[in-house]
Amino acid sequence: MDALVAQLQMQYRNYTVSLYQQGFLDDQFTELKKLQDDASPDFVAEVLSLFFEDCVKLIGNMARALDQTGTVDFSQVGASVHQLKGSSSSVGAKRVKGLCITFKEYCEANNYEGCVRCLQQVDIEFKALQTKLQDMFNLEKQIIQAGGKVPQVDIN
Amino acid sequence: MTVEQDCVALDQFPVGMRVLAVDDDQTCLRILESLLHRCQYHVTTTNQAQKALELLRENKNKFDLVISDVDMPDMDGFKLLELVGLEMDLPVIRVTHGACDYLLKPVRIEELKNIWQHVVRSRFDKNRGSNNGDKKDGSGNNEGVANSDPNNGRANRKRKDQYNEDEDEERDDNDDPSSQKKPRVVWTVELHKKFVAAVNQLGFEKAMPKKILDLMNVEKLTRENVASHLQKFRLYLKRISGNQQAIMANSDLHFLQMSNGLDGFHHRPIPVGSGQNVLQNPTDLGKFHHVSSLPLNHIDGGNILQGLPMPLEFDQLQTNNNKSIIAGNSMAFPSFPTQQSSLPNNNNHLVLEGHPQASPSAFPGHQINKRLEHWSNAVSSSSSTLPPAQNSNSIIIGHQFDVSPLPHSKPDSLEWNTQNASSSYSIPFCDSTIPLTSSMNTNPRAFYRTTDLDSNANVQPGVYYDSSQMRQSGNYGPTTDAMLSSNPKEGFIVGQQKLQSGFMGAEAGSLDDIVNSTMKQEQSQGDLSEGDLGYGGFSSLRTCL
Repeated sequence: MDALVAQLQMQYRNYTVSLYQQGFLDDQFTELKKLQDDASPDFVAEVLSLFFEDCVKLIGNMARALDQTGTVDFSQVGASVHQLKGSSSSVGAKRVKGLCITFKEYCEANNYEGCVRCLQQVDIEFKALQTKLQDMFNLEKQIIQAGGKVPQVDIN
Repeated sequence: MTVEQDCVALDQFPVGMRVLAVDDDQTCLRILESLLHRCQYHVTTTNQAQKALELLRENKNKFDLVISDVDMPDMDGFKLLELVGLEMDLPVIRVTHGACDYLLKPVRIEELKNIWQHVVRSRFDKNRGSNNGDKKDGSGNNEGVANSDPNNGRANRKRKDQYNEDEDEERDDNDDPSSQKKPRVVWTVELHKKFVAAVNQLGFEKAMPKKILDLMNVEKLTRENVASHLQKFRLYLKRISGNQQAIMANSDLHFLQMSNGLDGFHHRPIPVGSGQNVLQNPTDLGKFHHVSSLPLNHIDGGNILQGLPMPLEFDQLQTNNNKSIIAGNSMAFPSFPTQQSSLPNNNNHLVLEGHPQASPSAFPGHQINKRLEHWSNAVSSSSSTLPPAQNSNSIIIGHQFDVSPLPHSKPDSLEWNTQNASSSYSIPFCDSTIPLTSSMNTNPRAFYRTTDLDSNANVQPGVYYDSSQMRQSGNYGPTTDAMLSSNPKEGFIVGQQKLQSGFMGAEAGSLDDIVNSTMKQEQSQGDLSEGDLGYGGFSSLRTCL
């Protein structure tokens, strides 16, 4: 069992580190993890869930705003982008945040194609992140189920 | 309260301080709550400014501090601050997010640990009374506070500085409406862009103020203005190059926020008429800002540097009030999340938020300028200024509310509600009849669906529309509240189903649950759609399902 735990832990570590290395996550995510403790053991998962909900909602808003037959209200799109940028930066969703920044510029420039492209990408990115994090959480669960503890991963 | 008492209070303060946190972004709110708990503050949260107000009104002594996001697109966060300040004399800390802001979001725990200092500081200053000469002490104070936590990084300091700035400005106007302040340059985004363009053209190392000035070709901008701005710019660049946390997409904006200097020409875009103006500026104890002379009655063309037709807008704004408040909200520029309906409230309070609108409204300019002003003032002066007459913690960081006796009236709340109502983006969509068919077919906007994690999905753009169409036709069927409320989700859900099917185990993680639930929604929707609508586009929906 210990061997299994050790193996899982290593897997977990590697996976987590790779997420940072690939730019999915940044420091803020680390901060979030620090907030998780016995008092709130699922804090990170909770927050991330909220975040993904927000993503869906905001992306929807943007889609609608971009889809108006007639003049597109870029400010509306921009407003949602801004919000998404805020949430993504709060959870450490680095790629999403980066995309939002670009997205915002397109909004400001009233660049329709650019906005549409960004929207697509944001959609992809957040889902990719969702998948990755899900896998990470699954690993955590497996570790716990195997009787081990989820290791603290130091990203440096 | 004497200084000694304050000191004692200081010791006791951090733990158990009662904070009300307001942020419409649930993610951020949750994080904020957790952070505050870590600091051992007593936290109450709400994602609605309205609710926050109610809570505050319920018992004015219930909270020691309010932390609020002002960028709340769904509601007037700024207004909340205003009202809070006016009615309750509570210190409010503004939280803003976005790369062009104070980098307060993501909120860090170190910063939160220090927020109580704002509360105390206000007491100190209050004790000093409303004399104008305390810049030195103020600075000392501020420095002390800022330095006490070097790890805070720029953000915290910015926050405080901002606050100081606002304070200064407010008091300035309020206390001394008749004194003429020297007009100051406000480095607006456009102006700064020109500046940066000029610098780049000249070459950063070689850029000289005179040349920059020439290249910029802005009327009434002096070489001194440019020189001081350049200096700040250089400092800023140096600072950010060393600071990893400067994740600013738009360094220009960031810079502006941070270092809008007291360049000589600082124009105050607020009609000061009676001195009761912007709520955002608490009565200025007349520190540094005073000295720097903010123009009080400047509604005229003095505002040249903003590049916006200010005078015009201003007049509109003006209508009858001295009480126009221009909410120098967060700095966001065009894409500022604001409510579409920030309209001049001709009653008493005019609250505008930084508007992204392309419309040449001077408001955004004003607000931005205002904020920039604040920033620069704060940066330069770093004096702690506080609204004089506030009993408890009147530390206002960010937007301050006018301490002067503005008729704090109902119209505000009404307007707020109106704004709320009209500014909700999602609603119109649901209600409107969008020619979905046409859009589906003619619309190359496949943004919604063309690319997916799962390449097999191949969901058509129409998918999203289909869902909405469904909604519109009232075929809700198995629609749950969740579905209804998550309109935007529906489109995604369809695609998501496909996407998630890969690893949607029966695991019970939170993420899993969410995805599962969305999948279920999808499922039912999928069924619904197949049965009810005969869209061409649906075939693609079916395919991917």
